[in-house]
Amino acid sequence: MTITTGRPAPATSHRRGRVRQERLTAAAFLLPALALCVVLLYIPFVYTSYLSLTEFNGLGDPEFVGLDKYEEMFSDARILTSMVNTLIWVVGTLVLPVGLGLFIAVMVHGLRGSFWYRLPFLLPYAISGIAVGVIFSFILQTGGALTQALELFGLPFADARWLLDWPLNTIVMIVAATWQGAGVNALLFSVGLQSIPKEPVEAAMVDGAKGWTMFRHITWPMLAPMTTVVVGLSIVGSLKTFDIVWGMTQGGPGRVSETLAITMYKASFMLNDYGLGAAVALLLTVVTVTASLLYLRRQLAPAKEF
Amino acid sequence: MQGLRKAVLVGLGLLWLVPIYLMVINAAKVSANYGNATVWIPSDISGLWENILVALDRGRIAEGLLSTLIYSVMSPLIAVVIGAMAGFAIVALKLRRPFFWFVLIFSSTVFPIQMVLMPLFIGYVEVGIFDSRLGMVLIYTVIAVPFSAFVLRNFFSGIARQVYEAAEIDGATPWRIFFRIYLPMSKSALFAVFILQATFIWNDLLLGLSLSQSTDVRPVMTTLAAMQSTYGGSTMPVVLAGGLIVSIPTIVLFLATQRYFSQGLALGQYN
Repeated sequence: MTITTGRPAPATSHRRGRVRQERLTAAAFLLPALALCVVLLYIPFVYTSYLSLTEFNGLGDPEFVGLDKYEEMFSDARILTSMVNTLIWVVGTLVLPVGLGLFIAVMVHGLRGSFWYRLPFLLPYAISGIAVGVIFSFILQTGGALTQALELFGLPFADARWLLDWPLNTIVMIVAATWQGAGVNALLFSVGLQSIPKEPVEAAMVDGAKGWTMFRHITWPMLAPMTTVVVGLSIVGSLKTFDIVWGMTQGGPGRVSETLAITMYKASFMLNDYGLGAAVALLLTVVTVTASLLYLRRQLAPAKEF
Repeated sequence: MQGLRKAVLVGLGLLWLVPIYLMVINAAKVSANYGNATVWIPSDISGLWENILVALDRGRIAEGLLSTLIYSVMSPLIAVVIGAMAGFAIVALKLRRPFFWFVLIFSSTVFPIQMVLMPLFIGYVEVGIFDSRLGMVLIYTVIAVPFSAFVLRNFFSGIARQVYEAAEIDGATPWRIFFRIYLPMSKSALFAVFILQATFIWNDLLLGLSLSQSTDVRPVMTTLAAMQSTYGGSTMPVVLAGGLIVSIPTIVLFLATQRYFSQGLALGQYN
């Protein structure tokens, strides 16, 4: 730093100039990221909020209609079904991929060669939602691979119309999402399990705890921070479900298997009802942001340190 | 006990591989051999190459692959540098209200992408970058920036302040310190972010559906979706072959960089 001599005044102004210089540099470093986010995310965000209060088909100017589009949204039976489906997705992904992920992580924990045991579950995570959709619609189509197998072994449900009947189609799509997502949840739970300190576990073992008792009273409570993260991610992810549904049913037949993300896309890009699409997007946002707070609080809290 | 656990895991693991098995054996069937009655039984693999060629050519997968390759390399590359710059400004430089700026950038990941699709579409059409590779690179970059800033901010905050001060005393400018010291030090974090974002962009469908149209701009997942929804004149083996081609790169990348993948995930979840 500058050594202050017998002439303090110029030194101070020099330092002040330097601080300003540093702030300018800092701003220059921040600017690209900030400008991109503001121009391509925040301004569009505000514009969509405005569009949700208008009647607009992309031609001419948006016409302000107040809350009409929200009324329309909550009175349209197809959109209400879409809301129900989205709810089924949230609950379903909490039970299946999260539950199974926890199961796999606990089973793998402490085994030698854990990487190899986890691998089959992790592979599908690298596959896109649309490719998962391709595979599973092939398996589940009428007379497809699953029907074949069920018939061969004389099992029930051989005549089920997996992708055609509601709510069966939503449920089997959640199974496809489980195939894709359980592995990554298992990986996250494994990270959580590894970070559990040894002392309480050993102390409990001395006291004779093992198996279920150990899991129930020691492992599960100590896994809580990671569980919050996995559950938060799962809820937020399931609210936005788009790719797998698009790949398997495109929201059909009719519109019975739509999720809100699909409904938004169809309203805006296929039916040219931008106002309605925006209203659905805003509903989705409110729900998603609320759910995000669950785990975001954890992520942002340590940031307050500096 | 361990034996039972292993047996359960192996059994469940094999069940998990069944869809991949079905995909591969049926993508390898010549269309004439393909029928619902024999989907579980592999036939010779003679059809695989032919189906891949048909998917690449008539299914337009080849054009989609090229575009997607460009998007999923360029965008995360630009994004890690821009995100790292923001992280550097927040952690190492004398920025006013660093936490505010951090939250402002990071919060943009909270709302669903549906919230910006329509204005982006309208804006892109007006500026003239709708259905252009430039437009696609731009939006994928923006999507990747907040996560990159988030991870790199966390990483930089682990670098001792003395590193910066020592370089400063030696007369290095912030730019030099950033490019010569901080960036090289954070190679593994940069790589982890790059891998995660590249995979994410490779697998994107929605932005491709909304902001592109022509076959040479459309990313490959959008092409695959089009191929599958109408069956675009393609038989099931060809569609499956298409699904196989687009999945192999991410699976290989994932296996090769598994360590970075989980590191990136961990960095994403934790501080």
